[in-house]
Amino acid sequence: MQKVGVLAAIDDINAAGGINGMQLEGVIYDDACDPKQAVAVANKIVNDGITHVVGHLCSSSTEPAADIYEEEGVLMITAASTSPTITDKGYQMIFRTIGLDSLQGPFAAQYVINSVKPQRMAIIHDKQQYGEGLATAVKTEVEKAGIKPVMFEGVTPGDKDFSALIAKLKKNDVDFVYYGGYHPELGLILRQSAEKGLKAKFMGPEGVGNPDISKIAGEASEGLLVTLPQSFDNDPANKARVEAIKAKGEDPTGPFVFPAYSAVQVMTDAMTATGTTDAEKLAEYIRANTFNTTTGELDFDEKGDLTQFSFVVYDWHADGTKTPAAQ
Amino acid sequence: MSEFSLYLLQQLINGLTIGSTYALIAIGYTMVYGIIGMINFAHGEIYMIGSYVTFIVIAGLLGMGMVSLPIILIIALVVAIFIASTYGWTVERVAYRPLRGSNRLIPLISAIGMSIFLQNFVVLAQGSRDVALPPQITGGWSFGDPSNFEVSVSYMQMMIFAATFVTMTVLTLFISRSRMGRACRACSEDLGMTNLLGIDTNKIIALTFIIGAALAAVAGLLLGLYYGVVNPFIGFIAGLKAFTAAVLGGIGSIPGAVLGGLLLGVTEAMTAAFFPAEYKDVVAFSLLVLILLVRPSGLLGKPEVEKV
Repeated sequence: MQKVGVLAAIDDINAAGGINGMQLEGVIYDDACDPKQAVAVANKIVNDGITHVVGHLCSSSTEPAADIYEEEGVLMITAASTSPTITDKGYQMIFRTIGLDSLQGPFAAQYVINSVKPQRMAIIHDKQQYGEGLATAVKTEVEKAGIKPVMFEGVTPGDKDFSALIAKLKKNDVDFVYYGGYHPELGLILRQSAEKGLKAKFMGPEGVGNPDISKIAGEASEGLLVTLPQSFDNDPANKARVEAIKAKGEDPTGPFVFPAYSAVQVMTDAMTATGTTDAEKLAEYIRANTFNTTTGELDFDEKGDLTQFSFVVYDWHADGTKTPAAQ
Repeated sequence: MSEFSLYLLQQLINGLTIGSTYALIAIGYTMVYGIIGMINFAHGEIYMIGSYVTFIVIAGLLGMGMVSLPIILIIALVVAIFIASTYGWTVERVAYRPLRGSNRLIPLISAIGMSIFLQNFVVLAQGSRDVALPPQITGGWSFGDPSNFEVSVSYMQMMIFAATFVTMTVLTLFISRSRMGRACRACSEDLGMTNLLGIDTNKIIALTFIIGAALAAVAGLLLGLYYGVVNPFIGFIAGLKAFTAAVLGGIGSIPGAVLGGLLLGVTEAMTAAFFPAEYKDVVAFSLLVLILLVRPSGLLGKPEVEKV
């Protein structure tokens, strides 16, 4: 998916005359999503004299590879790795054009405050880094807006029986539940809530947006709210690019295609503006400026992460499909 | 009734439902322990296999266009019991019988190995992802004031109670009245002596594994239908909880396993009812430690004469 986006971006830029008169060339390496091979590939890239990398894909591969690029002064932008730890080491050369998992929390909270306006809200999480982190972020944001959740509780991942929790939600007259976690637990909570006559609306992060949740919960998954990264291929502004990718027989719908496209845009915009391909100068420029790309306006913080990323709230349906939710 | 007592009643029903299924699985642990003094750690996996077989049979029969739910459930139950019992018997024959009479730790390791083997076997055969079955038995019965607090008991919960009750009654009658049951009791009192008296103890031990596996299959069917989801790892947690229930009630004692299961289920539900739900395992297992400190042989267990 990264490859499709990168090659599309390179073709477009070369067709438009390249950067300061130079043509770009994309070289493809495959780390098979294996951390050991990622190190080997990163070393090979350095030896081949390449100084600008879009990648890697899997967070577990990106982490060891990032060390090497940082040390060797190679500019790296990943369009797919969302693990928060990648940028925790204070790198100078490492960026990403995909949103961190944690950015979904504040976004979901804004939707709750402005569109759901719950009377009695509960926040449930699965006690894991991803789920509890998101749940805490949502709690902090809604409390700022004066919504005081009546319940904030964890469940045990892998648990199958949530009847006690559901009875408690019923007793507290909860009308809206935010769930931080993954689809197997929320699927069971939805299914058992329907059986026990709990009439509350549920919302969850990307981790619950899996078609399997409809297999588990059946009809009970209808109307679930899910925050997902925006599908940039549906953006009218990207229509021509989507057509161009389709014309090459590739799939433009993957979540990393357009973040990869904008990773190339960020690099080339920086090259045009600074008039150099020197990786360290580019990194400085990228950190200091904002970029207009196919995935919106990108602004990087000190760590090299995006300060915001476009998410969309979807209405989930019982057949596993989704439509954008009313604002 | 006041809102509080209705809420309490609802949580009691929830706790008893989950507790009865713990009890069904716990019997498999306790019977095996009562007779040969070993913990069959592969028992949770037998429950998991029972659940899988149920899913495959129900999905298959629905796919073939069969519509009568009772007939589908009966066929699924029979097939699940048969296959789970076959596994139970095979595990005993392959992994435990050759080791009988050796140091007690050796069959224990063999049991853990068997558990890992079965889990991975199912992962390879069925994949490691959740398999879901749409709700088959829906609806329920509710009472109380909807504006206040409505207690709901689903038909599925009632079926779990009823099935557990019937299974326990049949098992109790079998153990106390039948010839085979008498042989089982004799084995648990003194295995060597029973052997000398001309009873084929190997056969009785195999029978124990088959009964335990059959009950686990019943639990697999009930919980599979109730939750609607199986994956190859459900056996581990279910087995751990059931084992706890067996120890709580006094391992080796069948009424103890039932009592322990119900107590554990109700404790979990009540903890989740009045404290944050994440504390339920902490409280349930603290209770286990407390009871064992006061009564080391469990609630209904007989103090054990040192066998080691």
